[in-house]
Amino acid sequence: MISGANPSAAPELLRVSGVEAPLQQPGTLRALWGRFRHDRLATAALAILALIVVICIAAPLTSPHDPLATQAVNRLAPPGSPGHLLGTDGAGRDLLSRLIWGGRISLMTGVAPVVIGLLVGGLFGLLAGYYGGVTRTVIMRCVDVLFAFPAVLLAIAIAVTLGAGTRNVIIALAVVLVPSVARVTESATISACSQEYIEAAKASGVNDASIIVFQLVRNVASAPLAYCFSIIGPVIVFAAGLNFLGLGIQPPDPEWGSMLYSLQSSLLFAPLTSIVPGVPIAIAALLFDVIGNAVRDVLDPRLA
Amino acid sequence: MSTSSNGTLLSVQGLQTRIKGDRHSITVVDGVSFELGQQQVLALIGESGSGKTMTALSILRLVAAPVAITGGEVWYEGKDILRLPAEKMRTLRGRRIAMIFQNPRDRFDPLRTIGDQLIEVLMHHGITQNRSEASRRALSLLREVKLLDAERVMKMYPNEVSGGMLQRAMIAIAIAPAPDLLIADEPTSSLDVTIQSEILDLLKSVETARRMSILFITHDISVAQQVADTVAVMYAGQIVEYGKASEVFAHPQHPYTQALMASVPTPTSDVLQPIHGLPADLAHPPPGCRFAPRCPSASVHGRASEPPPFVQTENVGVRCWLYAEAGQ
Amino acid sequence: MLSYAARRVVLLVPVLLGATVVVFGLIHLIPGDPAGALLGPTSSDATRAAFRHDLGLDQPLPIQYGVWLWHVLHLDLGISIARRQPVISIVWEAFQHTLLLAAVAALLANVVGLFLGIVAATRQFGIADRAAMGFAALATAIPSYWLGLILVVLLALKVQIFPTGGMTSAIDGGSPFDIFWHLVLPAMAAGAAPAGIVARTVRASVLEVLRLDFVQALRARGFSESTILFRHIVPNAFPTILTVMGLQAGYLLGGVAFVEVVFSWPGIGNLLFLSIGQRDYPVILGVMLFVSFVFVLLNLAVDLMHAALDPRVRTSVAA
Repeated sequence: MISGANPSAAPELLRVSGVEAPLQQPGTLRALWGRFRHDRLATAALAILALIVVICIAAPLTSPHDPLATQAVNRLAPPGSPGHLLGTDGAGRDLLSRLIWGGRISLMTGVAPVVIGLLVGGLFGLLAGYYGGVTRTVIMRCVDVLFAFPAVLLAIAIAVTLGAGTRNVIIALAVVLVPSVARVTESATISACSQEYIEAAKASGVNDASIIVFQLVRNVASAPLAYCFSIIGPVIVFAAGLNFLGLGIQPPDPEWGSMLYSLQSSLLFAPLTSIVPGVPIAIAALLFDVIGNAVRDVLDPRLA
Repeated sequence: MSTSSNGTLLSVQGLQTRIKGDRHSITVVDGVSFELGQQQVLALIGESGSGKTMTALSILRLVAAPVAITGGEVWYEGKDILRLPAEKMRTLRGRRIAMIFQNPRDRFDPLRTIGDQLIEVLMHHGITQNRSEASRRALSLLREVKLLDAERVMKMYPNEVSGGMLQRAMIAIAIAPAPDLLIADEPTSSLDVTIQSEILDLLKSVETARRMSILFITHDISVAQQVADTVAVMYAGQIVEYGKASEVFAHPQHPYTQALMASVPTPTSDVLQPIHGLPADLAHPPPGCRFAPRCPSASVHGRASEPPPFVQTENVGVRCWLYAEAGQ
Repeated sequence: MLSYAARRVVLLVPVLLGATVVVFGLIHLIPGDPAGALLGPTSSDATRAAFRHDLGLDQPLPIQYGVWLWHVLHLDLGISIARRQPVISIVWEAFQHTLLLAAVAALLANVVGLFLGIVAATRQFGIADRAAMGFAALATAIPSYWLGLILVVLLALKVQIFPTGGMTSAIDGGSPFDIFWHLVLPAMAAGAAPAGIVARTVRASVLEVLRLDFVQALRARGFSESTILFRHIVPNAFPTILTVMGLQAGYLLGGVAFVEVVFSWPGIGNLLFLSIGQRDYPVILGVMLFVSFVFVLLNLAVDLMHAALDPRVRTSVAA
């Protein structure tokens, strides 16, 4: 997937290939476990990611310096300078510390919208697919309307309108993701609903809510889950991008994207230092890409 | 059309093809030998999984990893074509040795008209020099395979045409470059019975008119009975009986062939005898004769060691202990 | 085909109307008084009162919407607070610049992606395949804005081949070549990730076609691998390939925003960014409205093209 997410790609492919959504097999967790045991690359990626997450969460312990502590003397020090493994920024603050503390925000603004998108979009898609008719038309029309806007511009507009702050960035990204997840889920739900066991359940009088919760969700979940896993990386990049534009976190709080932006003015004098904050963004996206591929292969091989 | 000294068009000797798996390899074609003469139809009969399609694909070298031809020779026009350079082999394909398949619908490019695909073959093999000539030739070919309304069929796409018509079109494509040998892999298996006999008649008339030989692969004895001059019966990758069709059908020697004949309905039989047991597991072949687990006449000797390939009994070659001992 | 197209065009209208509703909603989400937001902090009370009356802001919401929609349909998107010019002309000019950049980036991405994808598929599991897919993974993970900065450092600062930003040179600028020269770095930065996606999709699509039985039949007819590839396999893979290419091109229309900011390319992304800082809400909203219309039409074009190539799509019920 791409930097600055393009969530609409996968559901289009799904819709267009005209293939049935797979039934989630029993033992999915076992299948995932088996896959990761054999796929050394994915396991390594998972391990590295876990390490990064732990380091960021434990920022008070792992951060070598105070991320907000400025100093006038050692500014724009290059990576590898004594005492500052990754150098310092324009205000003399240690970059490594800021990256560690900033990681909490950057990672969260990547994952949170996906979770929200999965829950909200998944719910809409389920309802649309299960009930069909007017419900489906209304929901999918609204989804279409949101698809009328390019993802990036929509997110920017919403974030601008709601005002600065991390919470609004998360909301903006969630709004952008919901339509895609909804489409994926709707398509999977329609396929699943054509299976006979649903007819049987309805015929025997089980109420709709039970059917949805107990039967449908289990079988339909793999498609949106696979999609969401594959999209976490691009969303992290996208979120950092919104921060890059100044829409989210405000200085002096650290965040990978906004750090990149504030260092842009020093590009000429300290090129190496200025591009440091982009490294964790790319690494996180790459790790999630590898992991997402492995998960998707297990959950929904057709999307490959 | 050149032939070897005794009029043999194709001579397969000891052909061996294996599939390389993760744990072990499977030999799907195990030392297959037969000969095909001029204007002859050889029926290669066997159940699914017997290796007959693999044999055909091996002759044309249409196999790719993890399948590989690991032994044997295939003599055509005085050359062992298994050892030809790939490019030279490609010039043979379609031009001198053609192949038609089961399920004609899966064997056409869905995006191009039938006429286009026919013209493409004519132009590629240099049968015609320009499109208009190719177009005319294509029309006459379609008529030759008895496709009514050939002009309309030329412009149609594969999904607009019935299975029987597609098979005729596939035959047209195969015979367009006037090959010496046509390999037909279960050409009628996916068609209605009425269409089946039409296609069989078509193949026979094409064979005579164009003096082609046909390697006809089938699992259906009654179909083989209609077309074959010679017969080779395959089981678990090996040929177990081989000879003139009239002989083999009238006096089957190998227990498997006998069982096959017994399982075919005839006007007089009212009870069909299925063959007991399951096809051999090629990943773990039995130590002795491959058919022993299902053979009503199996001996201890048969279960323990493989019978020698081919003992001649009159007109027929059999791979079976019953005859090996008798023939000593 | 025609009925499918007609259906899709008719479906456009509610979508576009819905888009206007969304933008209208955004106006009212802005904290504070809409008149103040749309006229700027320096506007006088009298001006605001007149404005409110003009736009019917003292009327119930549906009427406000109606009045506003009326203005929009007459291409009146308001006046930019910062520049004191009609929004429509500002947006239109910026849009053309974005279109240029997005088109070049899309072209680059699609060509590179197509090439890599075909190479990878035809040499599956070989070195070329791994290298191509490794590059694709990297390309999709690297943020476009970061790649832009790196390219500036490498090719505009360290080695001064390309300009660091802008669309034209300050001195003697404006020629097509000058503009093209300014395009190179931003197009590369914006196109890398879409190239990766296209490469992956092309590879998957070609592999899927390669598995089909008719490919073996074609080999049996004696055609060479390259003939089969270009005359039969790629055309069969086309519907999927072309769709993803169209989607990427459409995505780029908005996606180049980050790159525009890095390179100060005067497109709508940059316009949006500057307007954020200036609180120039008329421009922000005008951009959203304008882009949504264009985007919807573009998506329609992609869908119609896909339906033209793949008959199966026309018969399925559009979601």
